[in-house]
Amino acid sequence: MKEISTKIKEIASRLLADGQVNVFLAWEKGPEDHLTHPLAARSAEDAQKIVFDEYSIHNLSNYLLKFRDGHEKIGLVVKGCDSRGIIRLLEDNQFTRDRLYIVGVCCPGMKDPLKAMKINSGLLQDIALDDKADKCSNCAYPNPVIYDELLGSEQQPHVSGERKAQVEEIENMSPDQRYGFFQETFSKCIRCYACRQACVACNCRTCIFDEMRPQWVGRENNETDNLMYHLVRAYHMAGRCVECGECERVCPVDIPLMLINSKLAKDVNEFFGPYEAGIKYEQDGKPALSVYSLEDSDEGFI
Amino acid sequence: MKILNKNQLETILNKLAEEAEVFVPMSKGNSSGFYSWKTRNPETERLMLDALNVYLSPKNIGFPQTEKMYSIKQSGPDVEIKETFEDSDPRIIFGIRACDARAITCMDDVFLTRGYEDSFYKARRDNTTIIANACYNPGPNCFCAGMGIDPTEPNADIIIRDTGDTGYIWETKTTQGEQLSARIADLLEEKELKAPELKPFKTNVEYAGVAEKLKSMFEHPIWEELSQTCQNCGICTYVCPSCHCFDIQVKMWGDEGYRFRCWDSCMYTEYSAEAGGGNPRPTTKERFRNRFLHKLEFFTERYGYPLCTGCGRCIVACPTGINIVNIIDQVKEANVDV
Ligand code: SF4
Ligand code: SF4
Ligand code: SF4
Ligand code: SF4
Ligand code: SF4
Repeated sequence: MKEISTKIKEIASRLLADGQVNVFLAWEKGPEDHLTHPLAARSAEDAQKIVFDEYSIHNLSNYLLKFRDGHEKIGLVVKGCDSRGIIRLLEDNQFTRDRLYIVGVCCPGMKDPLKAMKINSGLLQDIALDDKADKCSNCAYPNPVIYDELLGSEQQPHVSGERKAQVEEIENMSPDQRYGFFQETFSKCIRCYACRQACVACNCRTCIFDEMRPQWVGRENNETDNLMYHLVRAYHMAGRCVECGECERVCPVDIPLMLINSKLAKDVNEFFGPYEAGIKYEQDGKPALSVYSLEDSDEGFI
Repeated sequence: MKILNKNQLETILNKLAEEAEVFVPMSKGNSSGFYSWKTRNPETERLMLDALNVYLSPKNIGFPQTEKMYSIKQSGPDVEIKETFEDSDPRIIFGIRACDARAITCMDDVFLTRGYEDSFYKARRDNTTIIANACYNPGPNCFCAGMGIDPTEPNADIIIRDTGDTGYIWETKTTQGEQLSARIADLLEEKELKAPELKPFKTNVEYAGVAEKLKSMFEHPIWEELSQTCQNCGICTYVCPSCHCFDIQVKMWGDEGYRFRCWDSCMYTEYSAEAGGGNPRPTTKERFRNRFLHKLEFFTERYGYPLCTGCGRCIVACPTGINIVNIIDQVKEANVDV
């Protein structure tokens, strides 16, 4: 990874020095070993701070939303999952391809700095740092699907099958059991909306949860409003979620959002597919539920 | 001195729980927070008095995330208030740390002083007794001392001090504390034990001068720079023991409904949205700046001490590694002539 890190630094310095990009998104090192966090470099000098290491887990494609209204050219590093986020943004017309310089890295799987932070904090017990973060143990696309330059050697998908099994377990529950499961799961949610903020597919300018006139979803932290929040979020993700796992990773109370996202991806694939979100960039490509086809299934969904 | 023997702890908590809701630091699943002692499942949940602190702060005990205020009935232009939901049930917070106790002091100042008295907050607060657990071994992200707090002298009705031995020193500080101590007097022992020495802090902060310096830094480029990687997710404000912003909203079914308040966060776009459609804090920069100016400047100007208690939770929970200690350092280093 040292080598990749050095290469990224070189590329970023070159692009910034030549004025090919105005901003280069990558990572820098914090004060501790397990602390790697996003960096927006604006000069070749800033680029000297760039690192890419086993904690470079954040999906930087989300940060592109901050730049969508300008004309600035942006360089950024993407792993497999993050690169699918770029396709999400391109398909959603949030960005144009010519404003991006994409450095893809074939990803061996990352550790989660947030989890490391929690373990060290003294505030939580009985949690351990996995060699690979949860999201990386369920990653079907470790190799970038869109890039201008590719670094590292191709990786095999890292799919443990655990998540699939969990989804099946929920599918097999009786309706009452399932309702109970969701009720209990979502009762913990503190409705901070971090899952939305971290999500590249949540790119609406005014989110339905922020709409006040009328207010579609109540702001009380109770069973009804929590379930409503998660139901709406889920439907907005169907066929659009690129399974980068950031929502679940950032959630401060460990809501298993990826179970829901996997189920959505599975159903969309079954009923409207074959389809997987954000795996191939085509001019004017659209997510499965944004196009109408006579062959679409009438069953199951909704 | 009075000693609470560790093997009497559960008996005492049970006894206290007969007359009040007792909130204790507890593990829950892979998280932790303050939960009612009565609800503890001893098989899966552990009392965390010996841990540094818990992940979710005790803020919601005095300031619930969602709180029904009053119910209303509307007839034409008239609105009738049917019922107010002030909650004055007795409660005890057992084992809070100095940082979180300070956060309650912050909220007391906000909700009860300067001519504004929040009756909902007051009803709960007047009926809350605080038993704090003195700290002697600060964690990796603790910097309460830097924010002017002595972790061994929390602001509370009673202080317990873990001697590392078989017992806690039980120190009664206020009349409210005396009433509580009297109720369990027969369960306390008379013995001499020594409180431990405070270990050195691993995170050090020099807050002196920061509030004054920030006065001239509203337009400083530092905010643009430091906020670049913030995702405005709001986690920092929701895990913070002292952030106390709320929104008041209404739920109506036809002519009847109720008003409630719920936590809000200056990190959200809609927080500063105006009725006319404008928003004075349109981007991350302004919202990020507000959080730090409120914590480190505005609150100090109004109440004489900062709104950050140094608990370190926001540092632990921020998904992008934004660190308030680093922000304080950057402010101190910033060149204000730019
Ligand atoms: S991040 Fe977690 S706690 Fe916050 S709104 Fe999303 S699911 Fe709820
Ligand atoms: S819903 Fe979660 S996994 Fe899907 S794109 Fe958004 S952050 Fe990534
Ligand atoms: S910040 Fe201070 S009072 Fe709070 S847990 Fe750490 S040492 Fe204790
Ligand atoms: S937790 Fe971090 S990323 Fe989220 S709003 Fe706070 S500072 Fe920004
Ligand atoms: S700002 Fe951060 S360190 Fe300060 S009191 Fe809030 S959560 Fe704790």
